[in-house]
Amino acid sequence: MESKAAKNLFIWATVICTAVFIWLTIDTHLSIPKRTNTDQLTDEVVSGKRVWHKYNCNDCHTILGIGGYYSPDMTKVYSSRGENWLKVFLKNPESPDPQRRKMPNQKLSDDEIKKLIAFFKWVDAIDTNEWPPEPITVAKATGAPIKDTAQILKGKNVYNQNRCDLCHRIGGQGGVIGPDLSHVGTKRDTQWLSQLVKNPKSINPTTQMPAYPQLSEDEVQALTGFLGGLK
Amino acid sequence: MTYESQKVAIKYFVISAVFFGLQSLVGLLLILKYIWPDPLISILPFNTARAIHTNLLVVWMLFGFMGGTYYVVPEESKTELYSKKLADLQFYLLLIGGLVGVIGFLFGWTAGRPLLELPVELKWAVVIVALIFIFNVFMTMLKTKKWTAVQGLLLGGLAMLAAMWLFAIPFFKNLTFDYYYWWWVIHLWVEGAWELIAASLMAFILLKITGVERQVVEKWLYIEVGLVLASGIIGTGHHYYWIGTPGYWLWWGGIFSALETVPIVLMVFDTLRHVKHRKIEIPDRLVLYWTIGCALFHFFGAAVMGMVHTLPQVNRWTHGTQVTASHGHLAFFGAYAMLILTVIYYALPKLKGLTQFNQKRGFWVFWITVSMMLTIGLAFGVAGVIQSYMQRGLGIDFLTVQGFMKPWFIAVFIAGLGFFAGVILYVIDVLSLAMKKS
Ligand code: HEC
Ligand code: HEC
Ligand code: HEM
Ligand code: HEM
Ligand SMILES: [Fe+2]
Repeated sequence: MESKAAKNLFIWATVICTAVFIWLTIDTHLSIPKRTNTDQLTDEVVSGKRVWHKYNCNDCHTILGIGGYYSPDMTKVYSSRGENWLKVFLKNPESPDPQRRKMPNQKLSDDEIKKLIAFFKWVDAIDTNEWPPEPITVAKATGAPIKDTAQILKGKNVYNQNRCDLCHRIGGQGGVIGPDLSHVGTKRDTQWLSQLVKNPKSINPTTQMPAYPQLSEDEVQALTGFLGGLK
Repeated sequence: MTYESQKVAIKYFVISAVFFGLQSLVGLLLILKYIWPDPLISILPFNTARAIHTNLLVVWMLFGFMGGTYYVVPEESKTELYSKKLADLQFYLLLIGGLVGVIGFLFGWTAGRPLLELPVELKWAVVIVALIFIFNVFMTMLKTKKWTAVQGLLLGGLAMLAAMWLFAIPFFKNLTFDYYYWWWVIHLWVEGAWELIAASLMAFILLKITGVERQVVEKWLYIEVGLVLASGIIGTGHHYYWIGTPGYWLWWGGIFSALETVPIVLMVFDTLRHVKHRKIEIPDRLVLYWTIGCALFHFFGAAVMGMVHTLPQVNRWTHGTQVTASHGHLAFFGAYAMLILTVIYYALPKLKGLTQFNQKRGFWVFWITVSMMLTIGLAFGVAGVIQSYMQRGLGIDFLTVQGFMKPWFIAVFIAGLGFFAGVILYVIDVLSLAMKKS
């Protein structure tokens, strides 16, 4: 190929591909309002986004999979955690566990928290072509039935992962919104506990305690085993 | 060196090297926060440190590109720079802007968008710096008798760099549009504008060290950057799979971004062929090592590690995990860090009129940084595979999975220490070359 031909290739390839890209961009602009429910993109949601930027949350957290990889993705946090949990968490996210990776308490005001939650709610409904994907298989403990101690450890893990400590104390550590669970095993059995965790409203319709329908049967069993053992 | 005004490049190179050192230091701090509970969480939390790490990166690379351009353009245009004063002014503006930005982050002055954290006022300041720079370069090129491809594509790349930056400035109400245009800066920089700049600078060096005819070198330059833009512009679609944009991007983005590997492979062959068919001896072994190393590492970090996760079937699982961090480090290092080090090792001794200098330190820098960055990238990669499998595949909780990844973060830290030592050697080398009396 001659130098001249190479130059022409460069110019035409660039012009044509730019044109196609602009065409795709225009079409994308036409479909985004529906895919992102812009009718629900209220001023409150937009101010929530501004709070999100103000504290630079995005350099620790990904959202839509973009950002820092230091802490959980926020795309589906609204549906996975629920409003109550988020409210309590954002007020003071610091965990009492010294080994746990911490989110700093940025002293968000109640108003900022409300806006952030509105923002998360709107993000949750964006059509992301089914991302994040459903897990292929749910992790299960394989092989022989787990030994007691391992089961208790797993239950403790579920308690920590779901940050039950935001509202409850065990051995003096944790929040004060819910009752102290240090000796919950003396008055509640595992069956009652598992009903509560899956659907607290079935026990007290006005409770502040969020439901945890996303927990697998295995996890609920481990969790209630752990709680039932607190005597 | 033939023109006096090329000397402005020296200070650009020095600051580029110093900021590279600082950036790596902050990298070490970041990875420590992954390994242990963070004692600095209330002074310098992860998000602030990450903003500093990535912005220092961009700034040292801009200093490198600008210094390289100020070295190359007079020689290509066969004339002194249009204005040495403007080049000086622009240097100080960028330096002050960069420092104010970093210090601002420490005090929470941020726009809060990843990689584009600079507050809007400073973003406009960057526009002014870019305009002065491009004006100066353009006016110099106007004095030329014959436009070369190196000049044209370099200018084109710089203009594209500045144009894309404008999309970093507005506030977007809709998060999907926010990220749609965020990638016009990030992706169209590293897989568009910066490739043009890098390829032109590399073509210049190949011309000089191998003595191959300009016609041949420039022909391949056109083919390569033509393919870069042909694949890379629509290839932006590999970031539009999951952000609320339509499903057809899975096809457009997947296919075109896969094609982005073609020009990068060509660049490797091209470099090796020019070196093999060289018309003159290449006495400068160090620059030769950096040149070939850059081509190979660019290929590995961008083409291989990019290809690994660019198809939607894979990206679905790896998107936003440490797999991305692995590719980000390997690609940035291979494609741009090594290019800038090549340019500086080529140009700085010439600017100081040194026909010979002790290259031992330069070889140490080469082997240490290359091997340690490979280790860093691979360790991030293993961590990312664990994360994709356990967190996305098995649905295990985020922080629990981070516990399983910890050994690989420790590996990143250890290799990072080695890398930092290599960078310190490099900074010493650049400073001592820059301070030598010619
Ligand atoms: C320094 C890094 C950092 C910053 C900044 C940060 N976070 Fe976090 N965030 C974390 C970490 C670490 C966790 C996990 C904490 C835990 O589970 O105990 C977390 C957890 C969360 C969660 C709970 C996620 C879940 O599913 O468990 C939410 C919601 C959240 N952060 C929102 C925010 C918001 C909103 C901001 C900005 C105002 C923010 N974060 C800023 C590090 C950070
Ligand atoms: C947002 C705060 C909140 C969170 C988070 C929360 N709870 Fe509760 N929980 C409560 C409140 C409030 C009660 C008091 C019962 C009521 O309102 O009926 C309660 C009651 C309970 C009880 C019954 C105690 C008793 O003796 O009556 C148990 C057991 C319990 N929670 C376990 C959990 C577990 C396990 C988790 C985590 C998976 C959890 N909670 C998360 C608020 C919370
Ligand atoms: C001492 C060496 C280094 C270490 C330990 C290190 C570590 C890190 C860490 C921990 C992150 C944060 C990732 C996250 O969000 O969780 C990061 C981000 C980043 N670093 Fe480094 N880094 C180092 C050197 C470098 C160098 C030399 C470059 C460029 C050539 C670089 C480019 C980047 C980029 C581009 C990001 C953003 C990545 C992304 O968004 O995916 N780093 N680094
Ligand atoms: C030439 C240099 C390149 C550089 C410097 C580079 C750098 C980066 C960086 C820093 C990111 C992370 C951005 C972020 O989310 O913070 C990224 C993402 C990505 N890159 Fe590259 N890249 C290059 C080339 C390529 C090529 C050629 C391909 C494909 C063949 C590719 C595929 C990808 C993909 C798919 C992602 C998204 C990862 C995700 O979904 O999280 N890159 N790149
Ligand atoms: Fe890209």
